[in-house]
Amino acid sequence: MKRLLQLLSMAVLALTLSAPALAGEGGRTPLPSIPAAKGDQCVEDTAVMRRDHMKFLKHHRDATMHQGIRTEKYSLKACLECHAPVEGNMAAGGKEAEGHFCVNCHVYAGVTLDCFECHATKPETTAQFHPLVSPASAALKATDRTDSTVLLNRLVGVSENKAGVAHE
Amino acid sequence: MSDHKQPDLARREFLGRGAAAAGVALAPGVMLYGVADAKPADEPVSSKVRWGMLVDTSKCSSGCNACVDACNKEHGLGNETHSRDTQRTQYIRKVELRHKFTGATHSLPVMCQHCETPPCVDVCPTGASFKRADGIVLVDRHICIGCRYCMMACPYKARSFVHEALTEQRPHTPRGKGCVESCTMCVHRVDEGRQPACVEACAADGSHAIIFGDLNDPNSEIAQRVKTYASSEIRADLGLNTGVRYQGL
Amino acid sequence: MKNTKFMEIGSGKGYYGLLALLGVVILAGLSAFFYMEHTGHWVTGMDNQIVWGAPHVFAIFLIVAASGALNVASIGTVFGKKIYQPLGRMSALLAIALLIGGLTVLVLDLGRPDRLIVAMTYYNFKSIFAWNIILYNGFLALVAVYIWTMLDPTVKKFYKLAGFAAFVWRLILTTGTGSIFGWLVARQAYDAAIFAPMFIVMSFSFGLAVFMLVMMATYSWTNRPLGDAVVRRLKNLLGVFVAGVLFFVMVYHLTNLYATEHHGVQAFILRDGGVFTQAFWIGQILLGSLLPLALLYHPATGNSRFWIGIASALIILGGFAQLTVILIGGQAYPLVLFPGYEVSSSFADGAINSYSPSLPELVLGFSGIAIAMAMMVVGMRVLRMAPASLADEVADPHHGK
Repeated sequence: MKRLLQLLSMAVLALTLSAPALAGEGGRTPLPSIPAAKGDQCVEDTAVMRRDHMKFLKHHRDATMHQGIRTEKYSLKACLECHAPVEGNMAAGGKEAEGHFCVNCHVYAGVTLDCFECHATKPETTAQFHPLVSPASAALKATDRTDSTVLLNRLVGVSENKAGVAHE
Repeated sequence: MSDHKQPDLARREFLGRGAAAAGVALAPGVMLYGVADAKPADEPVSSKVRWGMLVDTSKCSSGCNACVDACNKEHGLGNETHSRDTQRTQYIRKVELRHKFTGATHSLPVMCQHCETPPCVDVCPTGASFKRADGIVLVDRHICIGCRYCMMACPYKARSFVHEALTEQRPHTPRGKGCVESCTMCVHRVDEGRQPACVEACAADGSHAIIFGDLNDPNSEIAQRVKTYASSEIRADLGLNTGVRYQGL
Repeated sequence: MKNTKFMEIGSGKGYYGLLALLGVVILAGLSAFFYMEHTGHWVTGMDNQIVWGAPHVFAIFLIVAASGALNVASIGTVFGKKIYQPLGRMSALLAIALLIGGLTVLVLDLGRPDRLIVAMTYYNFKSIFAWNIILYNGFLALVAVYIWTMLDPTVKKFYKLAGFAAFVWRLILTTGTGSIFGWLVARQAYDAAIFAPMFIVMSFSFGLAVFMLVMMATYSWTNRPLGDAVVRRLKNLLGVFVAGVLFFVMVYHLTNLYATEHHGVQAFILRDGGVFTQAFWIGQILLGSLLPLALLYHPATGNSRFWIGIASALIILGGFAQLTVILIGGQAYPLVLFPGYEVSSSFADGAINSYSPSLPELVLGFSGIAIAMAMMVVGMRVLRMAPASLADEVADPHHGK
């Protein structure tokens, strides 16, 4: 009996110690594969976003729903502009292109994500973004520089990263 | 050739400059008028505004469903695959009336009436059903638990429940399984200074049966119309002071 | 005053057999819940016109009966009637068990049951539903304290206070449950203040009927003596409550019949409603009220345990019929938006709505009953809830005088 227990505990120990080696990527724990986003930079630092993105989203959603505040910075629709799983993007076709930005990480972390039960996963190009159809409340009023400049630049076919440097 | 009269460049230039000047003078006015309708994106809504709609039933024809079709398209409704007909969502519906005694007939659209004292807001246990400061009644689907008590309470049967998992939602109308939903007066359009889809479709159709506007603004078309001509609320005896009013009933 | 001896019920084949049976029903209910929650409510018979269906009939019956089941304990504690006092512990345990069974069914039918924590933390205090959530939880806590004062001699001095608090709380709770319907202006069958007191008397009737059956079954299956004195007092009281419910139902319908405005819905319930009319006259009135009254008071049947049990079962069935008429019949009749007009639309305006319960809904409902009964059985096994004997010599304060 004692012998059996000793054998069992040795086996468990061996498996535990070799677990990192059994996992992929040269002995490190498996990491989620996060599809790359469009654009250069998110609205906040990566570290800040990783920690606080739900705080921003939840606060902003309450502001939008109850007060009608529709600034773009923390809006889910705006997030999806860059993090959208548009079919056929990233023509490189590598693993980075697969899956959905939010879902991949949430599945890895084991945190329930039910936003997309209701919210569309892809952005939609609609006339809404065109400043001439939408009476340019965002484009003409310089209340939020990000909004207006982004919209105007879209009109002329120029995209701009967060540092304000325009590129095609 | 030298006899050929030269076109009067000076006159052309004058006319051109005059037109340009007029355009420049007028354009900001036109664009500013549009801008004045929409509130800035970062400003919260206020009760200085009360959005409302006025339906003239005499202009509403029995076979026409333009408003319903436009609403379904705008919000991506009708994409349920498993639900029975009675389980599908309808934000707006056309109702046909025939008076039992006089035989008079009417046709009119019925949607969420955006009451001033909405029973659905009173009964919601979590506060998910709420009224915005500018009078639009909405369901905050982040806190809706799907108890359907608001559906029991609504005097206009305006609310629907989503009976199955949905995909391909329109980004401006998130909707999903297990929550209750209803006409939002196209709040996403209103916040940008546009009109609800039903109103736009009715106008595009040529009927002009529905108009939309700010009931608190004495200069708006809707405020002037309801002041001049008699209008009524459905179930006016309940004293809910609805934002949607009807003429011709 | 004699001291009643309380004893846990024994375990054995019968005990485990009963628990196994109840366990099967509970498991079936859980599977029904997973199925409905995962696929969505399209698999149920409920739709946008009949939004509350069979699960709610079961849930509201159990919740109303829970409040009434506490009656026996309250009469003993608050009103000092000695013959009820030994029954107090079982009565309080049954109240908790039935309430938990009912709440389970109610919560598992929500569109988003994963958001229950939202319902417990965001309260809209103008909503009677929100108040009900607070009242239900408070009831559970108060009755638990009440049982504690009955079990633990060191807190026995708070027995009367706990009993009184629980008594008042359950009256407020049942008022709240009735007001869920009574405060709805929208529908022809609701919007009536009488719902609150009617639900209180319904709770007396249903709760006591359930208690009678549970008590008689417990004493019969554990071979403990149950004297006629206790049974006779309880069945006479049950008859009074059944008559009380009949009275309130009559007042409700007579009032509605007097107002022309309500003639439509009254004709629907009382004459033209098909299955609802049958449920009303045959289920609720005949089988659920008149026949039990006859069985309980007629000398030929009034002293027979068998017929008293049948009467109690009929009262329970009548209760389900009554809630079906109120809940589902009230939704089947269309809302009146345009009085005087014939109405039609693509959204069932002006049309009588139909409903047939689906299997998952019914299974979920029955599992609520099973949960309540399982809690009762386990509670009586683990704690000293049931008196060892309710024979006349022991239980009847007037015995031998």
